[in-house]
Amino acid sequence: MTMNRREAITLIGGAAAAAGLATPALSQNRKITVGALRFTSHSGSFIAFERGHFADAGLDVELKFFQAAQPMAIAIASGSIDYAVTAVSGGLISLAQKGAVKVIGGALSEEPGIDGQKILASDAAFKAGLTSPKKLDGKIFGMSTAGSSFHYMGSKVAAAEGAAMKFKPLQKVGAIIGALKSGQIDAWSIVPHIAKPLAKSGAAHIIGNVSDYLPNYQITTVFTSANNAAEQKAMTGDFLTGFSKGVADYNAAMIARSAGQDGVDEMVRLIHKYVYADRPLEKAAPSIINGTMRLNEGAALNVASIEDQLKWFQSEALVDADVTMDRLVDTSYVKTIRA
Amino acid sequence: MSEEQETDIARQVAFRGGGFAPTPYRWIGLAVFVVLIGLAEIGTQSGFISPLTLPKPSDVLLTFVELYNSGLLWTHLAPSLTRLAVGAALGATLGIGVGVLIGLFSYIRAGMVPLIAAIFPIPKIALLPLFVIWFGIDEASKYALIAFGTFTPTVVATYGAVDNVDRTLIRMGQSFGLSWKSIVRKIILPGAMPGILSGLRISLAIAIILLVAAEMLGAEHGIGAYILEAGSLYNLERLFAGVVILSLLGVLLSSVIGAIERYVLRWRT
Amino acid sequence: MDIRLSGISHSYGDFEVLRNISLDIPSGKIVCIVGPTGCGKSTLLRLIGGLEAPNKGNVLQLGVPAEDCLNPLTYVFQDFALLPWRTVAGNISLVLEDHDLSRADIRKSIADVLARTKLSDFARALPKQLSGGMKQRVAIARALAVKPAVMLMDEPLSALDSQTRELLMDDLVALWTRQPFSAVYVTHNLDEAVRMGHMIVILSRCPGQIREIVHLEKPLDERSYGDSDLQFRQKYLWNLMRDEAQAADAELINV
Repeated sequence: MTMNRREAITLIGGAAAAAGLATPALSQNRKITVGALRFTSHSGSFIAFERGHFADAGLDVELKFFQAAQPMAIAIASGSIDYAVTAVSGGLISLAQKGAVKVIGGALSEEPGIDGQKILASDAAFKAGLTSPKKLDGKIFGMSTAGSSFHYMGSKVAAAEGAAMKFKPLQKVGAIIGALKSGQIDAWSIVPHIAKPLAKSGAAHIIGNVSDYLPNYQITTVFTSANNAAEQKAMTGDFLTGFSKGVADYNAAMIARSAGQDGVDEMVRLIHKYVYADRPLEKAAPSIINGTMRLNEGAALNVASIEDQLKWFQSEALVDADVTMDRLVDTSYVKTIRA
Repeated sequence: MSEEQETDIARQVAFRGGGFAPTPYRWIGLAVFVVLIGLAEIGTQSGFISPLTLPKPSDVLLTFVELYNSGLLWTHLAPSLTRLAVGAALGATLGIGVGVLIGLFSYIRAGMVPLIAAIFPIPKIALLPLFVIWFGIDEASKYALIAFGTFTPTVVATYGAVDNVDRTLIRMGQSFGLSWKSIVRKIILPGAMPGILSGLRISLAIAIILLVAAEMLGAEHGIGAYILEAGSLYNLERLFAGVVILSLLGVLLSSVIGAIERYVLRWRT
Repeated sequence: MDIRLSGISHSYGDFEVLRNISLDIPSGKIVCIVGPTGCGKSTLLRLIGGLEAPNKGNVLQLGVPAEDCLNPLTYVFQDFALLPWRTVAGNISLVLEDHDLSRADIRKSIADVLARTKLSDFARALPKQLSGGMKQRVAIARALAVKPAVMLMDEPLSALDSQTRELLMDDLVALWTRQPFSAVYVTHNLDEAVRMGHMIVILSRCPGQIREIVHLEKPLDERSYGDSDLQFRQKYLWNLMRDEAQAADAELINV
């Protein structure tokens, strides 16, 4: 394709209008802003944007990039951006409780049989005998902040193994990696495309899979402001339609490999525009491929997993005990999974 | 009136010497606080200010009371105070030492002043990961960060203070044949004390700022860790409770220095 | 102990301050040095006490100071130079602490000099509580405490108002009368010179050279405010200095 995005959108929009095709009811070329982090798990938005799925849904999307999930959640709450994908965290639940945000769909999931998040041991701890999650008792587990998804995963693994662990808040992924490399923390859990190169370099060792403990863990969710979820139903539906098409393209190319290696290559090239863009394609490709995890078809939401997470955050007193699932999730948009 | 001649008209000389003299009104400062907090309370109670923008001051107070009743206040305060005390003591002691050396010896001044000038503007927070590698993730790196942050301003304040010691007093000491040690101990150090103490005021405020930064990495307890956790959970009540604790800590430290100044510098006019 | 200055010249860079000064300061006498502003009077005093080294010439001590003398050449400064953080007694103690004296000796010395300068009641006062005249009394007491062979007084009364100056002059005369000391007394005030000096050295303007040396025989304790013969001498000195002073005043400040 030699056309640029804007030309493509006008062309498609114009063609659709001229042909009087089944265009979405309310939101013709409506301008919205979608927040994203430069992670493969946000590929649904990238693909929908690049391939014009958002435009097909009648939306003129602007992507806005963030360095961390926290400011993105606040940007949604303040109405600076409309939709985004992020992990469930204490902060997200607090914002939902304040009536600022709502989870409307699911994205990244753990799925048995597909390479998911890994449990890592530092080289020093591994040599001292931390070769399996069973031996995590008394160890130090890294996390960004209390109430982050790392905190949740670590706690769940520890609970399953009856291990008592200490959690070290280190704010940033880079700092956690540094602490793991220098043996300041013993263990951590992280997405495969970060875990695998660390294991390969010898700085850390993979000692287990998160999916063994949290088989259908709904890692990231699609969320928006409570106002969009309640008042802008058409626009929200249109966004999810476009986003789901992107997700479907991603799963087909990267997991089902329906178009073979060429399909993978083409998809990697597309994602590379957004992820690891500072590295040459040949270096970025393995990382992008390593990071492949299932994105929920149709942005389906595993409410059972969300409920488990909510309960855990409440049991740790990280969020108020009176936050309900209704307050956190709007299930009217997508299919829900209860497993 | 009519008897008065034009040249004899008596007129009051208008007063024009007012203003430009700071007068202490203590209660106004307090009133500003009370009014602002009162406005915030009314705004949040009435719903004019959304709970996303600002927490209710009464809820912040409640959070603080809960924190106190649960005993968690001390769990968080104790490590923070230790970090502040150890870090600031280290930084200030070293800073005063180096500052005095710079003030006394021209070679050390020539060597150190550019170095200090180079270190001063480095945001110490940026060096935190490096400190973790050098000093480990536990207390040592936190002490080091706070110490480093208080060190440079103390050095600058100290050698400035030493430079400002009245030269005639030093000449007097020499003219009476006082030993070098006596001149330093009995004339230069006490003479530099006002400058050193006002430098400490700034250094300690910086220490409190750096406390939050120091507790970013690997601190489970501490006021800074508490604030950061509240921030990541978007729990505004806790965030504000933590910030209020830091403010109170600042006010407390400043008044402690004020008391020390009044005692040590009671000779000042 | 006498002091002998032989052929002293001194300059700061290209700026010549003193030229070829030779002078004997006999023991037990007060030598006043007067001259127009900027003629190097204070520089000369710093050279005598060793706070500065002359470019040319020597300052010699002739004979040895008395055995109990702790600091042969002792200054009294115009601005008093008292440590503001020490009490009156503490300021005197300062100059005794570095010597091999017992605490009791130090206490005795302090009590002695405070009595001589009529300061006993102020031993625990801080300098900020004292008037200028009292401060200078403390500085004089401090100088006396080290039992100097020669007192080097640099405009000691210039920072004081004229009434205080009169009182302090009387005190100094009384001190000298009870126990004569040698002193070099730098001043720009001719009244002080004729009241305090056994010998008055008049310096020319820059570079300072000795213009004339005037000897006054009248005993110090017999001189007093408004004496006609002193006024006559003072007038003579002023006539000597007038033109120099005028020229010095019109000069651009050389810094």
